Amino acid sequence: MDYEGLKDQWSEIEERDGVRLSWNTFPSSRMEASRLVVPIGALYTPLKEKTDTPLLQYEPVSCKAPCRAVLNPFCQVDMRARLWICPFCLQRNALPPHYKDISQDAIPPELHPNSTTIEYRLARPAPSPPIFLFVVDTCQEEDSLKALKDSIIMSLSLLPPYALVGLITFGTMAQVHELGYTECAKSYVFRGSKDYTSKQVQEMLGLGQLGPRPNMQVQPGRPPMPAGAGARFLLPVSQCEFQLTNALEQLQKDPWPVANDKRALRCTGVALSVAVGLLETQFVNMGGRIMLFSGGPATEGPGMVVGPELREPIRSHHDIDRDNIKYYKKALKFYDTLAKRVSHNGHIVDIFAGCLDQVGLLEMKGLSNSTGGHMILTDSFTSSMYKQSFARVFNKDADDNLLMGFNASLEVLTTKELKVTGLIGHAVSMNKKSASVGETECGIGNTCSWKMCGIDPEASYGIYFEIASQGGPSQLQQGPQKGMMQFLTYYQHSAGQYHLRVTTVARNLSGPSGDPAIAQSFDQEAAAVLMSRIAVFKAEVDDGPDVLRWVDRMLIRLCSRFAEYRKDDPSSFRLEKNFTLYPQFMFHLRRSQFLQVFNNSPDETAFYRHVLNHEDVSNSLIMIQPTLDSYGFDHEGSTPVLLDSTSIQSETILLLDTFFHILIFHGETMAEWRKAGYQDQEGYDSFRTLLEAPKEDAKDLIQDRFPLPRFIVCDAGGSQARFLLSKLNPSTTHTTGSYGGVSQTAQTIFTDDVSLQTFMDHLMKLAVSGTG
Amino acid sequence: PGMPQSPDAMAQQFGNMSLGGQPVQAAPPMQQPTAAHLNQLYPTDLISQPLNAAEVDQLPPLIHLPPNTSCTPSPHSNADPRYIRSTLNCVPTTHSLLKKSKLPFALVIQPYTSLHDSEDPVPVVPDQVISRCRRCRAYINPFVTFLDHGHRWRCNMCNLSNDVPQAFDWDAAAQKSRDRWQREELNFSCCEFVAPQEYMVRPPQPLVYLFLFDVSYAAVTNGLLATSARCILESLDRIPNADRRTRVGFMAVDSSLHYFSIPRDGSENNDPSMLVVSDLDEPFLPTPMDLLVNLSECRANVETFLEKLQSMFQDTPITASAMGSALRAGHKLVAPVGGKICVLSATLPNVGHGKLEMREDKKVLGTSGESKLLGTQNSFYKSFAVECSKNQVSIDMFLFSSQYQDVASLSNLPRYTGGQTYFYPGWNAARSEDAIKFAREFSDYLSSEIGLEAVLRVRATTGLRMSTFYGNFFNRSSDLCAFPAFPRDQAYVVEVAIDETITKPYVCLQAAVLHTTCNGERRIRVLTLALPTTESLANIYASADPAAITVYFSHKAVERVLGSGLDAARDALQAKIIEILQTYRKELAGGNMGGGGLQLPANLRPLVVMFLGLIKNVGLRKSAQIPSDLRSTALCLLSTLPLPLLIQYIYPKFYSLHDMPDNAGVPDPHTGEILLPPVTNLSSERIVPYGLYLIDDGVNQFLWIGRDAVPALLLDVFGTDDRTALKQGKTTMPVLDNEFNERVRAVIEKSKDHRAKGVGSIVVPTLYIIKEDGDPSLKLWAQTLLVEDRADQGVSLQQWMGMLREKVVQ
Ligand SMILES: [Zn+2]
Ligand SMILES: [Zn+2]
Repeated sequence: MDYEGLKDQWSEIEERDGVRLSWNTFPSSRMEASRLVVPIGALYTPLKEKTDTPLLQYEPVSCKAPCRAVLNPFCQVDMRARLWICPFCLQRNALPPHYKDISQDAIPPELHPNSTTIEYRLARPAPSPPIFLFVVDTCQEEDSLKALKDSIIMSLSLLPPYALVGLITFGTMAQVHELGYTECAKSYVFRGSKDYTSKQVQEMLGLGQLGPRPNMQVQPGRPPMPAGAGARFLLPVSQCEFQLTNALEQLQKDPWPVANDKRALRCTGVALSVAVGLLETQFVNMGGRIMLFSGGPATEGPGMVVGPELREPIRSHHDIDRDNIKYYKKALKFYDTLAKRVSHNGHIVDIFAGCLDQVGLLEMKGLSNSTGGHMILTDSFTSSMYKQSFARVFNKDADDNLLMGFNASLEVLTTKELKVTGLIGHAVSMNKKSASVGETECGIGNTCSWKMCGIDPEASYGIYFEIASQGGPSQLQQGPQKGMMQFLTYYQHSAGQYHLRVTTVARNLSGPSGDPAIAQSFDQEAAAVLMSRIAVFKAEVDDGPDVLRWVDRMLIRLCSRFAEYRKDDPSSFRLEKNFTLYPQFMFHLRRSQFLQVFNNSPDETAFYRHVLNHEDVSNSLIMIQPTLDSYGFDHEGSTPVLLDSTSIQSETILLLDTFFHILIFHGETMAEWRKAGYQDQEGYDSFRTLLEAPKEDAKDLIQDRFPLPRFIVCDAGGSQARFLLSKLNPSTTHTTGSYGGVSQTAQTIFTDDVSLQTFMDHLMKLAVSGTG
Repeated sequence: PGMPQSPDAMAQQFGNMSLGGQPVQAAPPMQQPTAAHLNQLYPTDLISQPLNAAEVDQLPPLIHLPPNTSCTPSPHSNADPRYIRSTLNCVPTTHSLLKKSKLPFALVIQPYTSLHDSEDPVPVVPDQVISRCRRCRAYINPFVTFLDHGHRWRCNMCNLSNDVPQAFDWDAAAQKSRDRWQREELNFSCCEFVAPQEYMVRPPQPLVYLFLFDVSYAAVTNGLLATSARCILESLDRIPNADRRTRVGFMAVDSSLHYFSIPRDGSENNDPSMLVVSDLDEPFLPTPMDLLVNLSECRANVETFLEKLQSMFQDTPITASAMGSALRAGHKLVAPVGGKICVLSATLPNVGHGKLEMREDKKVLGTSGESKLLGTQNSFYKSFAVECSKNQVSIDMFLFSSQYQDVASLSNLPRYTGGQTYFYPGWNAARSEDAIKFAREFSDYLSSEIGLEAVLRVRATTGLRMSTFYGNFFNRSSDLCAFPAFPRDQAYVVEVAIDETITKPYVCLQAAVLHTTCNGERRIRVLTLALPTTESLANIYASADPAAITVYFSHKAVERVLGSGLDAARDALQAKIIEILQTYRKELAGGNMGGGGLQLPANLRPLVVMFLGLIKNVGLRKSAQIPSDLRSTALCLLSTLPLPLLIQYIYPKFYSLHDMPDNAGVPDPHTGEILLPPVTNLSSERIVPYGLYLIDDGVNQFLWIGRDAVPALLLDVFGTDDRTALKQGKTTMPVLDNEFNERVRAVIEKSKDHRAKGVGSIVVPTLYIIKEDGDPSLKLWAQTLLVEDRADQGVSLQQWMGMLREKVVQ
């Protein structure tokens, strides 16, 4: 099959199973595997929306413990004996009695060859309706607070009436609103400067003892309350909508005075810790979201990221680099500890930042990263970017169920050749050891099971594998040998039941050493995304330059291994079709905000990396290498053009999509004409159409995107154009001058970056020298 | 003297002083004062001439000043005994003579005689001309001497001559000269100056009331919360607020602190909101706004809040009270302005700051261990009170527990902040008598025109020194008592030391209360007293005031109880009366054993029974039956009550009603005031089985029905002739349409009339019906008020006299 055919096949599989693999043929020996450079990995989207396959309303048939693999199309089934052989552990299992009518013509859906991914609705009901705890920063200007209040009130109409909601507000202090109290507005106030333990939070909310413990004297003043948190602080929307709406409408800017030279005191840390403590009382392992709306940095108490003095700037990447930061480590430790607690409890933390400055996402990122929460970074809660992104959190499926799952666990089973080495994505380890766990570690390793407190249909996880077997393929089975993986995702569906999604992946194992099938099976797009996740994972702990060197080294080694060349002759360097784009991806990855952090704030870096770790292959690729389309009179519609400064022409309009930004750029002439108002004059219909075309396309792009991208319209020479220029390959920089055979109309980029051409030259030189 | 002055009477007195228009030079001639005619000693014998109860109420011995001691002929130039009273109305010239007399020299000062100015106005010096001695800072008063053609005045305390202020004879309002001899400060021993700027540390603060409501189980279920909320609601118009600056705040307390934010009237949202703080470590304010609100600006919303408050905690199961922490929080809230914190609690503070234990053990009562229960359990209550005093915060405690509440510890808060402790044991709003009593008292409390940021200082003629101060305040320096709020229903005792031999024929003492009125005016109330001096012990005894002496020893006894215990306090009282009797017998009666042998001058006769009453008072008597909270409450009263009420509390009023004279219980034809029957000695010998009696100690009134009371009497008084149908205990008198019922009710009412007694008080005594053949414990309780009887472990008057006689003779 040619490359195009393979690509179609992979995309079909992705459509069906939500899986893209870096290698679609697995090396059959460890030795072979070690030479692949790019590890065997899967980018898996467990809850990818599937409308074509039925939702099974019965319990899955599982293999004996400890295997527990689920019956799937790759199982050998003995219809007469009503037995099936588990491909993972090779054990025989009897089919349950109600499968007695099974026959070649009447096979259950899970055995259907197309059912490599199938979902069961389990009998186990969710222990609680989904919980939404709003944690609202009140240190904001009135208009911003108003917009925020309105958006939250609006969201109540998007929630199912049985969903539990709660409200915590904070500024100098944190307040938990008792929505179940109807005599008047009532809230519990926590000091903003104090690190409250979970027990203290519970006691202070009067939730100290739920059911007296034996041998415990009832403490004076702390008798068991008649009702727990459920009846007082977290109530069904249908029951407390009035109270909650009232409480939100009455919300005022934090009343404590703020001096001119000070920041408002904002105890984000305490508010979060109280939120976590509140849910800890009674809702452990019951799906819920803590939704933080932050209008600025924490300046008070545990988790503060900057002091209240305005003359003290908030930390930058340079400060962190120089280890010159007062609060960073303490805050990081505080939020990481909190993240551990909240992920252990099975709750999600979403962070919505509406602030021109940083809010401390860097420090708080663990909360969202480890729980599968959203991170939305916007300038203000009045922005449509915030409003629309927030509304999209509550998107629903065709059955009117929220498109979000709670409390998921993803378990990976492998056949014996494969071992799982780790996962990179928004999850935490469940520390489950099994025969499928590999020796090495990539990302979150040493486990075959991970917990995702929050999971949504787009959430994608990079899962990495190694080859275990030392020798060749086993001779026990006939035909081409297959390596298999099974992904078992249990989760609390927003409709109130537990579901199990099963995806079984089987791929051929390579033949004897040097099997060309391996190289042909390389999916460069998936590989680039999987490698990007590793690079970003490393960047979180290692120094920037080290990570860049690692990216380079891996690329050179991959090229050395799979390119055709004569040693030490760069001009002889050739890559197969399914490898050609990979070096470009790596070139752009190196230049991307994911690894080049100094042009961004630490908060932005945290945000970008968070989003990268959530998206599937195609979205991730846009982030790594933005797309650029050109619109002109010479062609109908858009034409993809190189992400290169040469693409800037005065008589074209460009549409750049970096995933985070969507930018329309009018070339010089285009801008002049537009300013002259030709589009409004008769006889210039085509110009008007041309101006509209990129806008229409941009709308399409924005349609399903989350978070909503920032939308920029700019002209050549305008200050906003820098967003475009920073993404372009600097093929024409001020160092190349204007004579190097480059078109005089092309834009010159003032940068010291190396161009793609220079990069490739170096790469070829190094790859063929065998020094990689 | 002794009668309250109506405003009309006052105006008349002004009018009578027809000295107006005379030039300064025409001042009354200043003669050198000559020796005065002093009180004569009238020896009596207490055994052969037993004391009549009416003697207890006799007026203090007259003060005989040398002629022309006062610079004006005003009849009000020397002190009105309602305001200031000396134990000795004739002062020994030397310390040794005082020591020899064995009598104390002390002043009983009661700067206010009513809860409201309008009930008993004092003259106010309208201009802000305040002339004070340059050296001793005494205020100019009727006993100064003018020199140098009236240009200078000589200080009657330190003898320094001072310039008369320029504006002294100028009426700035009328823009014309003013007759000096009509100036209030030269005519009235009690007057008020309006203080100018320099008397203020900061602008006059508004009146602030912060209410701390106990909302734990006990206070909700006994109806305290609902009753107090309703009572405040209904009394909002009575809270002084003439300047529309009065602020109010509310907090509720159980194991958490509940703050209430009350919006201004006409806000977008007029509902109160509740902010709960459970972090008791160092209580903090949850918001900087709307916790202490202007009553006028938030009136409607305060009403809304108070209406809601009653139901806000109705289902609480919480039994704890973090009142100590709430006080700290309340202090934080009020401290920037100062003001009153009013605590309404039915629970022992058992969590948070100032946490108290249930320490009372019934077995300890009556033993030497009992006294410890009367001391403070937790040092918080003293140190915090001192902190409050510094920040002009005064605390009043309204206590309602049906169980041990540790009044002993809690009462420290009012003690050092110029407040008061009110205890309602076993109170329950479901009992209408309880609800009405508290509501009336609390409403009067709220209406009282308290002063703010007050200090009391007492100055005296050179040679005298104020040595010790007694009462509820903080003694900030040797002679300065600080009152964050100045109450109108308390008296203070100041002991005076004689440091130097006094050569003058009379001495002067001056008490000054600098305060801010609740209308935001800075004022000084000045009370000046002049007393003749003597070198004779007989003169001293002849002018000694037994009531003032009893008040002094009541304060001393309380101090002794808290310092050394009950036994020591009782022993000291007994030793003192013996000492006085011995001294009199030895020094003045010539050792004469004539008559019965227990001799005292006529004016001092009540002293012996007053001491017995004091020793047998619930605060001091030896008994294993008195819960320590009741004792502590009594100790609070014994150290704060105005003199007439304190005397009544020690030797209650006892009226025989069934045979009262025809003029009793009906208005006096001249004054229109109800006449009371004559008082009877507190002895069961005076009780006949068919009789009806009223015993009234000012706190409780017992209506005693003899076991043989005839049905006709019962029918007249109670509307039933079936004595078994008569409800015992706390009750309300039925209003019947017959003359006798009316008269009995009139007597009961009149007996409670504070105005008639010349005191301000919020207390509404509780009326109990006692059937002689009814509930024995009720009967016993009433009988403890019969001071002359032998009861419990106390001796009868006869035994007491016998014992004293024995000791005196030794
Ligand atoms: Zn198996
Ligand atoms: Zn003087």
